[in-house]
Amino acid sequence: KAPDLSSVNKVSSVFEDIEFCVMTGTGKYSKSELESRIAECGGSVVQNPGLDTYCVIVGTENVRVKNIIASNKYDVVRAEWILQCLQHKMLVPWQPAFMIHMSPDTKENFAREYDCYGDSYTADTDVAQLKEVFSRMKDNKMMLLEKIAELEERYSWNSCQLSIFRGNSIYVDFYAVVNEPGTKIHGTTLSIRALELRFYGAKVVPYLEEGVSHVIIGEDHSRVEEMKALRRTFGKKFKIVSELWVIQSVEEGVPKNENQYLI
Amino acid sequence: MEKTLNRIHPVSDPEATYFLQVSWEKDLGAGFGIILTDGQCAWTGTVSEADVSREAADMEMDRKKYVEELKKALIAGEESAGKYNFAVSRDKENMECHFSYEKNLKDGSFRLGCLKLHKVSSPADVVKELIGYCLDCLGRLQAKNEHLQKENERLFSNWSDAKKRLEKCVEAKEELEADLYNRFVLVLNEKKAKIRNLQRLLNEAEESAADA
Repeated sequence: KAPDLSSVNKVSSVFEDIEFCVMTGTGKYSKSELESRIAECGGSVVQNPGLDTYCVIVGTENVRVKNIIASNKYDVVRAEWILQCLQHKMLVPWQPAFMIHMSPDTKENFAREYDCYGDSYTADTDVAQLKEVFSRMKDNKMMLLEKIAELEERYSWNSCQLSIFRGNSIYVDFYAVVNEPGTKIHGTTLSIRALELRFYGAKVVPYLEEGVSHVIIGEDHSRVEEMKALRRTFGKKFKIVSELWVIQSVEEGVPKNENQYLI
Repeated sequence: MEKTLNRIHPVSDPEATYFLQVSWEKDLGAGFGIILTDGQCAWTGTVSEADVSREAADMEMDRKKYVEELKKALIAGEESAGKYNFAVSRDKENMECHFSYEKNLKDGSFRLGCLKLHKVSSPADVVKELIGYCLDCLGRLQAKNEHLQKENERLFSNWSDAKKRLEKCVEAKEELEADLYNRFVLVLNEKKAKIRNLQRLLNEAEESAADA
């Protein structure tokens, strides 16, 4: 089923003396379209990859493509690469984003230039490239808030307005019984304060334990004495502040001094 | 026309209960009508605008202030109970009735006003009217209460809905941030690993150069 490419008009010699094997087309360009575009630019096309094949071109992945990948002998490249070569009328260097699979040799070459996520060691990146690198990362672990706080500290991003409460571990007094999250009082403004705290970087905790930095109190002061008693037993003392601390810190975009809001 | 109905206990007979209805147009200062009843007999009378001015002048009191006092005495009801005294004195045939109202002070009291009320020929009609007025008020309040309750429910449900949406936004922000930071750190650490590797190669090269 090799196409007859003898009649194509040569328009450039970008692919002069290069042999390709096009496996599948893309939604926009069929396999035969891609093949004739390659031929127009001086390239040759084979139906099965062989020793002289430069690379395998793939639009959409299928079983045959998977077998080629499994053989680990060929570089399998996205059809987008061919299209970019045609657009720029040059042999665009391979970038990690183009590679569906790499032969061991190519892999080694890439490892000198790019990290395992495809980010260059030497070339500057930009928003689009970094987005692309991020999108190809399969490791979807979430970073813990404590780690984020450390990282922001390290790179001085902690003055960011979205990080007003970063690094703080905060207990909000909206449980009818202290330390019993099952007794949450619904419909109070404190639940909005808790969301604000989280939005601006705090860790909101359901238990008043050692390590808590602040306790936020609303209009109801009935549990304050109990919390103060609990505080006497703690090594690290937490601050008991009114919800106004949250409101005004958010309004002004900076963490306000707690001393004005102590209860 | 506005009206209020209050319960009063005359100083002369604190056990007795009278119902006092005061009706006026816009402001008490422009004069008002009074209906007083003990449930069996009823008396009525009016105080004109001129009467109000005269009383204020007699007392050498600012008219505005005097009207304020009148309001507290005759309209405010329960909350001013005890601060004002009422005196009711009826003649034998119940034909006439002297009604006076005074402000209670620490040392005695001073009279805000007094008037002669005339007996109403059909007290039943007056009582009927008063009960009717009460029922109307009750109905209006009930309707208002229902409306407010519905409004409150609507506001609360809107509030919870907005809160849920805000919660989703906060969660999405937290997740996005944690995810992006995670990816950022992975890429960053790859760069650091590369730097370490280059440092190692440099040290090795220096060592072999020193050896040579």
